[in-house]
Amino acid sequence: MSTDLVCRQVVELISDYLDDALPADVRAAVEVHLAGCDGCTMVLQEFRRTISMTGMLTEDDVTPAQRDILLAAFRGWATA
Amino acid sequence: MELVDKLTPSMRRVARMFVSSDAVADEVVQEAWVGVLKGLAGFEGRASLRTWIFRILVNIAKGRGQREARSVPFATLAGDDLDAPTFDPSAFDTSGLWSTLPFDWRGMPDERVTAGETLAVIGRAIASLPPMQAEVIRLRDVLGWSSDEVRNALDLTDTNQRVLLHRARAKVRAAVEEHLRSVNP
Repeated sequence: MSTDLVCRQVVELISDYLDDALPADVRAAVEVHLAGCDGCTMVLQEFRRTISMTGMLTEDDVTPAQRDILLAAFRGWATA
Repeated sequence: MELVDKLTPSMRRVARMFVSSDAVADEVVQEAWVGVLKGLAGFEGRASLRTWIFRILVNIAKGRGQREARSVPFATLAGDDLDAPTFDPSAFDTSGLWSTLPFDWRGMPDERVTAGETLAVIGRAIASLPPMQAEVIRLRDVLGWSSDEVRNALDLTDTNQRVLLHRARAKVRAAVEEHLRSVNP
């Protein structure tokens, strides 16, 4: 299968590329494209950087009130 | 209780996708934890524990949503733009090559890029995504779950998990680009 990819296609494959979720032939075609395309390489690097910054975020803490509700539910269940 | 603290915020959000109110979502989460305790002896360890817990939760939430006659279409949760390109088509020429490159922030100093402001932009971008896109990126990129875990936990096909994640990441990347363009001196 000849798979010459253009930029418009490559940018849609970047997330799967980073997750190693592409079939081998598509992955190879993406790599061929990236090797010759500074724009798509830039977008790839920005995805990677954005993902790593996303990983710096934390979830909102569980509020004590929520925890109390659950503890009450467990107690109710244990004595039912 | 550590696991309860860790998983409950995501569980409430996921439950809320399928039911009509925060209060009902809380009930679903409680019911799910009770179900987890009851079923724990039968947990076979084929899936990760958190995936298994989410499957119990999603089953209860979907059942509850149906009883409320609140069947939420997948497109509402996932977003109705799944087939659309994630990059502005006008950035490419007719042969599909770049005609206008995105703003290049690779040369910006790290402390400028990774500032609290940028992280806040990412947080807001995630919060404004359609619910299922938001949840997939939270579980994958904020909490670090694997794609298999997320697909199983949220009862998604492999393809849907990947499409939702790519779309979410692309929007977050675009929000970061827009922000950094605006603060670049």
